[in-house]
Amino acid sequence: MLNRIPAGQKIFYYAMLLLIAVIILFPIYYMFTVSLKLPRDIYRDPSLLPLRPTLNNYVLMFTQYQFLINIRNSFIVASLSTIVSVFISCLAAYSLVRVRYPGRKWMGRLILFSYLTPSSLLFIPLAVIINRLQLGNTLQGLIFVYLTFAAPLSTWLLMGFFRGVPFDLEEQAMVDGATRLQALFRILLPIAAPGLIAVSVFTFTGAWNELLLALIFTTSPSIRTIPVALQYLITGDVFRWNLIMAGAVLAALPVMILYYLSQRFVVAGIGAGAVKA
Amino acid sequence: MNPALPKKASGQSRLSLKTRTSFLGYALAAPVAICLLLLVFYPFAFAIGISFTDREIGTVGKFVGLANFRYLAGLPSFQKTITNTIVLVGSVQTLKLVLCMGIALLLNQAIRARQLWRGLILLPWAMPSFVAYLTWRLMYLPQGGAFNIIAVGLGFNSIDFMTRDLAMPSVVAATFWRGFPFWVISFLAALQAVPEELYEAAAIDGANRWHRFWNVTIPSIRHVITVIVLLSTIWTTNGFENIWLLTQGGPSDATMTFPVLAYFGLQTLRIGEASAVSVAMLPVFTILAFIGVKLLERNTED
Repeated sequence: MLNRIPAGQKIFYYAMLLLIAVIILFPIYYMFTVSLKLPRDIYRDPSLLPLRPTLNNYVLMFTQYQFLINIRNSFIVASLSTIVSVFISCLAAYSLVRVRYPGRKWMGRLILFSYLTPSSLLFIPLAVIINRLQLGNTLQGLIFVYLTFAAPLSTWLLMGFFRGVPFDLEEQAMVDGATRLQALFRILLPIAAPGLIAVSVFTFTGAWNELLLALIFTTSPSIRTIPVALQYLITGDVFRWNLIMAGAVLAALPVMILYYLSQRFVVAGIGAGAVKA
Repeated sequence: MNPALPKKASGQSRLSLKTRTSFLGYALAAPVAICLLLLVFYPFAFAIGISFTDREIGTVGKFVGLANFRYLAGLPSFQKTITNTIVLVGSVQTLKLVLCMGIALLLNQAIRARQLWRGLILLPWAMPSFVAYLTWRLMYLPQGGAFNIIAVGLGFNSIDFMTRDLAMPSVVAATFWRGFPFWVISFLAALQAVPEELYEAAAIDGANRWHRFWNVTIPSIRHVITVIVLLSTIWTTNGFENIWLLTQGGPSDATMTFPVLAYFGLQTLRIGEASAVSVAMLPVFTILAFIGVKLLERNTED
């Protein structure tokens, strides 16, 4: 195929690809560069290159700004909401895909509708509800409200993956005396493991990246998650872009590594049912 | 489809097999169902309810009819919000549709190391959106921002990207950058699923590239395009991070959108009024969501 494309066209293709690569990589490069600069080098002697690189900003983030607390909070919130959400979603997805009962179709519709509902439409009433439950300004409260997007997302995606697994094996196991739950946990879930990984990655990063709800539900500094802590660094009068970018690099690394490690599952997941973009 | 259940269970129970299966189905779906009722549907109804009251945080409020909506209709910020949303969503989605289709077609050619390119394209989408928007805000800075370093280096005057005229295009560019990979990967997956025979048949009929694109490619991937455009329109309309981190709706409401206006409303503690901002866009959202549910349901029919 490649040799059938005329040379001129081939050059055009690769020139376009190069342009796209520059547009994608330049902001990432600049984020990294600024995270290595001292404030005076950013504003007084602006340059695209890290002229006098230093790790000082990273050190400051951990010492003076206690960024470790924010990382810990984000990690707790993202992992616990993923574990809870993926567990209850496995049960619901199994029920919707494998069990026949009246109202099943409506339940499926409710999940889809919730999946499409953005949290920006719900945050005001959620604030009232969380206060009434006395969960305001706690990590438990945040984990709980994250189920608004995590549960429909994981259920919807898992339904897609479960549907792709043939029923025969579970049927055989049940004929041999296994219960429905045994069929789910011993047969279906191991086969659908790649899907389970993709769903966990999407749910974890969704919670790790979330700003709006975290901004509303975590007010005191000790329970702020990473995005909230970083946004407080821009709202002050003094811009601390060196520190913000060091924090941004630290926030991006875990999810980038996660995506890199699970790339093939993630691409399959995008194909399986779309993910909030 | 209902498989035979184990002997001992069916022999002992007085309930019919069907009833017990239904019960199991409901029980397994219950945790998610309860979460959604409490966290999505109840808040949904609650938001509509309080948008007709003068409720403030700490008070119950009383019914005021359409007063909040009348107030909003006369509010210049709100009128700006409507036009801004149309401009923002219209331009971001048009750019994505045209450019991402182009990029997907490009990646679908016989290029070397396609996997590598696909991985590269995914980068902006794989990084947290707040990181992407903070970085873009930094790049737009008049002092120390990358774009101005380049502009001044090329001999131009430095540009203020956050004026009333330029703020919206700046938001559009950043929003495009963060969101386009999702479209490219989805389009590419759809393109790769188009059967090669269709192109061969069209080629035998003497169709040129352009004809093949409009008569083979587009009809084959039309469903994917519709779904992506619809979902992304819902989420772009309701995006908070891009506006909040780049402009906070400013300068003088030039980039104000519904979620940011509602967030400012929540900060005033007048939640009846703030809810009215979200509720005002519910009719459009509900229509889009219903179409979305129908389209996605069609995906799952077997």
